[in-house]
Amino acid sequence: MTASLWVTRLIAGRIASAVFTLFLVSLAVFAVSLLMGGDAAEAILGQSATPEALAGLRASMHLDQPAPQRYLGWLIGLLHGDPGTSLVTGRPIGGMIAPRLANSLLLAGLTALVSVPVALTLGILAAVKRGGTFDRVVGIATIGIVSVPEFLIATVAVLIFAVTLHWLPALSSLRDVDSIYELLRVFALPVMSLACVTVAQMIRMTRAAVCDALTSSYVEAARLKGVPPRRLVLGHALPNAIGPIANAVALSLSALLGGVIVIEVIFNYPGVARLMVDAVATRDMPLVQTVAMIFSASYLVLVTTADIVAILANPRLRHQ
Amino acid sequence: MRRPRIALAVGATLVGAALLSALVGPLLAPHSIGAVVDLDVFSPSSAAFPLGTDYLGRDVLSRVLTATRYTVFISFVATMIAASVGIFFGLAAASGSWLDMVLSRLFDIVIAIPSLMFGLVVITSLGASIPVLIGTLAVVYTPGAFRTARALALNVAALDFITVARSRGEGLSYIVLREILPNLIGPLAADFGLRFVFVALLLSGLSFLGLGVQPPYADLGALVRENIAGLGFGAPAVLFPALALASLTVGLNLTIDTLTGGRKATR
Amino acid sequence: MIGTLAPHGVAPDGMAHGIDRRGLLRVAGAGVLSAGLAGCGLPVARTPIKGGRLRVATATSSTADTLDPAKQGIATDYCRGAMFYDGLTVIDEHSRPQMALAEAIETRDAREWTIKLRPGVRFHDGTALTARDVVYSLRRHLDPAVGSKARVFAQQMTEVRAIGTDQVRITLSGPNADLPIILAIPHFLIVRADTTDFRLANGTGPFRCREFDPGIRSVGVRNDDYWGTHAHLGEVEIFSIADDSARVNALMSGDIDLINEINPRIINQLKRAGFGVLESPSGGYTDLVIRVDQGHGRHPDFVTAMKLLMNRETMRDAIFRGYAKIANDQPIPPSSPYFNPTVPKRPFDPERAGFLFRKAGLAGATIPIVTSTAANKSDDIAVVMQDAARHAGIKFDIRRVPADGYWTSSWMKVPVGFGNVNARPTPDIIFTQFFSSTAPWNESGWKDARFDRLLLLARGDTDESRRRQIYGEMQQMVHDHSGIGIPLFVSSLDAYGPKVRGLRPMPGAGLMGYRFASHVWLDGA
Repeated sequence: MTASLWVTRLIAGRIASAVFTLFLVSLAVFAVSLLMGGDAAEAILGQSATPEALAGLRASMHLDQPAPQRYLGWLIGLLHGDPGTSLVTGRPIGGMIAPRLANSLLLAGLTALVSVPVALTLGILAAVKRGGTFDRVVGIATIGIVSVPEFLIATVAVLIFAVTLHWLPALSSLRDVDSIYELLRVFALPVMSLACVTVAQMIRMTRAAVCDALTSSYVEAARLKGVPPRRLVLGHALPNAIGPIANAVALSLSALLGGVIVIEVIFNYPGVARLMVDAVATRDMPLVQTVAMIFSASYLVLVTTADIVAILANPRLRHQ
Repeated sequence: MRRPRIALAVGATLVGAALLSALVGPLLAPHSIGAVVDLDVFSPSSAAFPLGTDYLGRDVLSRVLTATRYTVFISFVATMIAASVGIFFGLAAASGSWLDMVLSRLFDIVIAIPSLMFGLVVITSLGASIPVLIGTLAVVYTPGAFRTARALALNVAALDFITVARSRGEGLSYIVLREILPNLIGPLAADFGLRFVFVALLLSGLSFLGLGVQPPYADLGALVRENIAGLGFGAPAVLFPALALASLTVGLNLTIDTLTGGRKATR
Repeated sequence: MIGTLAPHGVAPDGMAHGIDRRGLLRVAGAGVLSAGLAGCGLPVARTPIKGGRLRVATATSSTADTLDPAKQGIATDYCRGAMFYDGLTVIDEHSRPQMALAEAIETRDAREWTIKLRPGVRFHDGTALTARDVVYSLRRHLDPAVGSKARVFAQQMTEVRAIGTDQVRITLSGPNADLPIILAIPHFLIVRADTTDFRLANGTGPFRCREFDPGIRSVGVRNDDYWGTHAHLGEVEIFSIADDSARVNALMSGDIDLINEINPRIINQLKRAGFGVLESPSGGYTDLVIRVDQGHGRHPDFVTAMKLLMNRETMRDAIFRGYAKIANDQPIPPSSPYFNPTVPKRPFDPERAGFLFRKAGLAGATIPIVTSTAANKSDDIAVVMQDAARHAGIKFDIRRVPADGYWTSSWMKVPVGFGNVNARPTPDIIFTQFFSSTAPWNESGWKDARFDRLLLLARGDTDESRRRQIYGEMQQMVHDHSGIGIPLFVSSLDAYGPKVRGLRPMPGAGLMGYRFASHVWLDGA
């Protein structure tokens, strides 16, 4: 079997499994929504819900249909590429999600662009100099920073750079962006705050994995053979550490879509995390289902990529 | 080997201080944790209130001492459960492709359920209590522990000595426990330390769902959150809980790193 | 503090005899500006400047944001509604109704009302306002599918019909002298007949809706064809920042001009930095709700003991930093003309509370109390009571539950919990909605036939002194017997940037009763 054919088959298999997983996820989210209690009519009426007002609103939202029927309707629509309309706003879900998803992907992309190289470099350097001062400083700083709640980091950053120094805006509005310079200004604070949270896991796992690889018998053997230190790290140790590193990167980045609610709120950045919170709070089930699909799909893409990278980087895994 | 020893000493001291405060802290608290004792709010440090007062005029020292108990105890137990379950299934997944398939899908689904929905379902069906809180935290962080353990184990399982052990005809449990696990201790411990931080932070995040520690008690993260308005004038009420949380987690991770960092793969 | 409302003796007098209030709105408008300037301690005698863009951040907004007046539920909705629509009447700074889209409102018996519409008013799409629009706007609340929050009020209107193109006849199920005030509640803002699509607003208001993106932002531009006093601002952008600190920081960094719901703890800091703070004393409150029809609440001594455990001074100072007025377990605030000052003040008395708990056989008991962020500051109120409870030999077990679903699953269902009531313009409205035996939100389940009779009596009565007497007695009844503990009337607190002018407190709600956009201007715009 040639390598490329093998990779194609691997990827095809993973995609099929991912699609099946997505279907299971939609079932699970549906089941959880049944357990959650409450519906969109109750959520909209809130304090002013009376039995007859509820009944009327439910009928107008078609909430009087049985839940499984509504779920099936949504699923069939989705298979035709139409996730339906929001119960609460009455607008097409696709149109509600698209601009926010673009925003979220931009924020996540910029954060990844900053945090991944920084984390890998620091992690590898710390592993090479393990036990030394640099390693300790990186280790303590990483944990120190990640254990500060992100709302505190973001608020302190805004207080310093926006309120006191007036260097950067306190809110991240994309409407004012018309140049790269503006883009950097607008995104500096949210990206920095998010990076503080995401780098920690990557740095630690990179360091641990590279450390392990560096102390393994075959790297030891290579060292005895006289391989220079730089090649020892990049050529021998790193390839064996790529699996866990890729996994840590995937796990860290997967939180950048749905897990950034605090940052979206503080910087008033309209992304999908806030949309999801709104959708759950208003029991807008078609919207919840669709956004959950997007989160799950992005997670699956990331971890599957990590799996494939791990397999490709470690030839021995292929024979498993 | 001087540095590791210093690091270990520092780490152990920080962890020890946190444990001590968790055990006897509430007994040492000078004021009742819920009592409004100061007419002013966000007071700076003073003789009467060494760490100042909080947003209602309560004694911060008393609140930090009590909060440490909750953060240490709940986070530790929850992380322990998440890590044990995650590692167990992670290793199991790494040892068989069929099992891997099933377990991976299962955890993919668990991770896909929006945590807000999950939290709401938990609170409506089980109510709020400390065991439920611990269980929720553990469930949220198990998939991550699973994926990390699985990725590490897969990597090790592919190494030569495992193949050798297999060809020697060793049983699966022998291979997993005696050959694979010892080689994962370092990275898994590193992951544990970090996961502890995440759990301690999420703990305070859950309080707005009503799942967190109930008033008048609070955890360290919740203290930071409820006093955030004092940040603008540098109130100790927001700085000290944050500092306490950071020193606890830094201490724990320093200890873990120094205890496992020197450990070498056995072959 | 920015001044309180002077109580006044003349409430909607003469309404029953048919009075024409044409032109009053403009007069009130002129008074507004000088009062606002003096009140805020800003240099007086500066003429408002036209134009400029005001950026406003409120505390809440979500995909449930709406431009449908009937569905409005949060401050952000009300602000938008006030920009894009008008009501038939509008409430002034003395809580009295003034004519808006109505030119005159007449009645003989407080049961059959004739409303004459203001001529020459146009919707933003250019069509003229007619009686048909008004009939549609009032009648649609009866359709359950609309999901109206003002359905209870609309149900009082047994008939709403057009007489010609410029008059509307409203017949009530029983006499109600307060109809002009009821017509001013935000849900009865007038929309164009047959409107079902609320993706943009087509109203008659001082601003046109240029953009509306639920949960993201809305933009209004000045309506230069407005029938009334034109707004000063050229444009208003409104969105929300849910995080309290982030909202203040955005104001202080100059990114935005006006915010609501500020934490009283940062007021001095804001003022020192040159920002303004608008305090609007209101009749809104967070109340302790003890169900008198279940659990310990069935025992009157328990209810009284719980009310005695409220240390109102500590709550006012520690929780609200003084920006609240002590209340007396009844819902009519001291600023109301109907306030009864003779109801004896309920003191903080843990000893007597302890005695009553023991009398009720509850010595050493543990009482579960449900709180939620949905009921503003209920956590903190409960914590202060919890500490006092220790001295009364009883234990409080505070159970904080999520704001999500609180109103449907916990409020009025748990034996001891909290509610949150916004100011209502008349005693009739608050008593009807929250205290009568058939009230949809009879929070404590307290029922009293005499109270119900008094309510009907006052509603149909047009004699002011008699009404005041009846409402006075009803306040005493609520204070003595209902399961509601009202510790404080809470002020709304807004903050604004150094360029913002023209803000002044209005009763009922912050942000000038949500109508800031019509009054504010920007210096140097």
